[in-house]
Amino acid sequence: MITKQQIDAYIEKIPPSGAILKQTLMFLNAGELTKAAKIAQNDPALKSYLKSIVNKPIYGFQSEVSDISQIFGILGVARSQQTVYNYMTSLLSPKKWVLFRLNAQSFAELQARLSNRWKDILEHVHIQDKDIQSAISLLPASIIVAEALFCERLEEVKLLRSVKELDYNTILYRLCKVDLFDICEQIAIKWEMPSCVGSIVQGASGVKEVANPAHENLAKWMHLLLFYELSQSLFIEAGLNDFIDFQIDFVSDIYEDFAQLMEIA
Amino acid sequence: MRAVVNNSIAVFYPQGFLDGINSQTLLTLEDIAATEALKVDMVLVSLKKVIFFNRNGLDTFIKMFVRVRAKNQATVGFCDVDTKKYSAIKKFYEQDLNFSIFKTKEIAALFAPNFKNEAKKVLIYSSDKSQRAAMAIELHDNGHNPIIAQTQEEFNQKSETSGIYDLIVTETYLGQMGQKIASRVTGNAIIYTISSFLDNEIGTTFNIAYHNNSLNVGFRIFIFDAYKVISMNVHALNFFSKLASAAAEYNATICFVGMTFEKTPESFKDTLEDAGIMFFDQMDDILQNKELLQELGGTGPAAIKQKRAINKVLVGELPRFIDATVSTIEMMTNAKAIKEAANVNHIVVEHKKDKIASSIGFYGDIDGMVILVFPQEIAKKACELLIGEHTDDMEMILDSLAELVNILGGKVKTLLSDHNVRVDITLPRTYENIDSLLEIIEGRKGVQVDLSFDDDKFLFFLTR
Repeated sequence: MITKQQIDAYIEKIPPSGAILKQTLMFLNAGELTKAAKIAQNDPALKSYLKSIVNKPIYGFQSEVSDISQIFGILGVARSQQTVYNYMTSLLSPKKWVLFRLNAQSFAELQARLSNRWKDILEHVHIQDKDIQSAISLLPASIIVAEALFCERLEEVKLLRSVKELDYNTILYRLCKVDLFDICEQIAIKWEMPSCVGSIVQGASGVKEVANPAHENLAKWMHLLLFYELSQSLFIEAGLNDFIDFQIDFVSDIYEDFAQLMEIA
Repeated sequence: MRAVVNNSIAVFYPQGFLDGINSQTLLTLEDIAATEALKVDMVLVSLKKVIFFNRNGLDTFIKMFVRVRAKNQATVGFCDVDTKKYSAIKKFYEQDLNFSIFKTKEIAALFAPNFKNEAKKVLIYSSDKSQRAAMAIELHDNGHNPIIAQTQEEFNQKSETSGIYDLIVTETYLGQMGQKIASRVTGNAIIYTISSFLDNEIGTTFNIAYHNNSLNVGFRIFIFDAYKVISMNVHALNFFSKLASAAAEYNATICFVGMTFEKTPESFKDTLEDAGIMFFDQMDDILQNKELLQELGGTGPAAIKQKRAINKVLVGELPRFIDATVSTIEMMTNAKAIKEAANVNHIVVEHKKDKIASSIGFYGDIDGMVILVFPQEIAKKACELLIGEHTDDMEMILDSLAELVNILGGKVKTLLSDHNVRVDITLPRTYENIDSLLEIIEGRKGVQVDLSFDDDKFLFFLTR
């Protein structure tokens, strides 16, 4: 059914960041928010995306924010960069979701929730690295990949899942020896993200070893964050709770800390 | 979410955080209704991958437990709980704990009325004396060998000795257990445990669908362990007489072991014997007597008396069966299938060596049996996806093969229902060698389709 060749072909189809996006990211990377906004202004789709994201209730602004330089100013360098990556991820998303019951709005909601919580986590663990902040953008990318790879053979995958409690990631790995996190890493490479991003995202699978202890710690937080957000009703309804196999043991040492941060009673 | 069903045990695997809001999304009213319709012996909710839960989160599942128990008398409860989760559940439902809590799914399976594994030596400890006794009784009834540790010290001492016990049961609580008649499989014999007073209730507590499925897939000896039966009335007598007549159609034998007639009229025994039921004092009188087992059909399945020919309706559905088989095996092996030949005749298996087989029956609007003969290598490849790794362990391969055939059966059922043909499927059966398969289907005609998967020959046979 799903072959390694199909996966390679899929990654091949993923567009590299275009000229406007590249320049926007370059200026954001250099901390030049005004210049970045000026460039971003020329991409109407990016502009509209930034507006729709920043005006979500989770950002808590009382009146509508529409100016790009204002948006970048509010978000700051790291979150602006992360939001541009989120936009690039959303470009991959299908017009019509089949495997997961998502749409453009709920997918953007997931991106926004993950991004905001990830920002809180990084503040909590005292990390100020805009590349690491952007790493969270790749997790929704793996959801898009799962959707694209499995939706053609939906019935078979459903039947397989009905006899074994297999998550989509495990099914893909058993079929192709490549999992969704490997694919995310490949996307990160394609988008020229630093190697630490790939390492943290791979670690967030909860089953792969991460050599750098600091990265491993972040991978645990990311795994638990995914665990937490995919347990929300909206995403359970979307079928995302069965997306990956959660590893309780992997995150047990940070759970109390996480529960406090997320104010879980 | 839907439960994963295996050996008549349905297990839900929620993940993540369980609270009052998301648990209702996880388990909808349709999911509960689907679980009721499963008619399984045990319904479990695994908390293995739940990192946080509160009482509201569990309440949704407990509502399902209540409904399933009321409808099917199944055993219900939570499994895969660590010490913290076990204590939390007991604390939440202190006064109202009428479901069970099992430390692991494996432990829960020991208490399931139907199991196919060998009897296990089980060490039990609970600080509650009545729980210790209840667990020991249930395990004993299910054919296991329970050993009770009376104190924590005794338990610590006994559990430290490795290798003596197959399983150690702690942090387990038995709520209301299922009221179905327990059954277990020993070789090709099925043993049912009956107890106390037998009356017209036997009609509801005996799983007739399971029994019929067992006949369909080739079991030929059924033993009722009746040591604990006090008496039997005329309704139960009628029930067993009918069961014996039905079994005779399949050349199957029904036996009673340990039944006394102190409080049951002796004439009942004559009636049951006239119906073909045999009586023995001890279980070993049957199970240890190989010659008798052979005679009764317990060591090798006997052919069905009434051979039925494949009919036009079944042949009409053949393309759907083939499609289901091919797409399932293609998915599991990642190989492309090529149809080589098809003909109607007795099954012909060339090069029997290194081949294994499996079968699954279906009944309803149409009935019949699908038989698949795999070269071991294809079977291993197909099962690798389910097991997660390459294995040469034949028991594991055969278990996975049964699951694979179950997938296939499910798929056939769905495909047929799309065309308004309603069928139910039987338990899958596997055959470690081709000769034992041939004994079952000897003399039956069917449609044989030879397929090739990457040059490996694979055989599909559809018969009645």
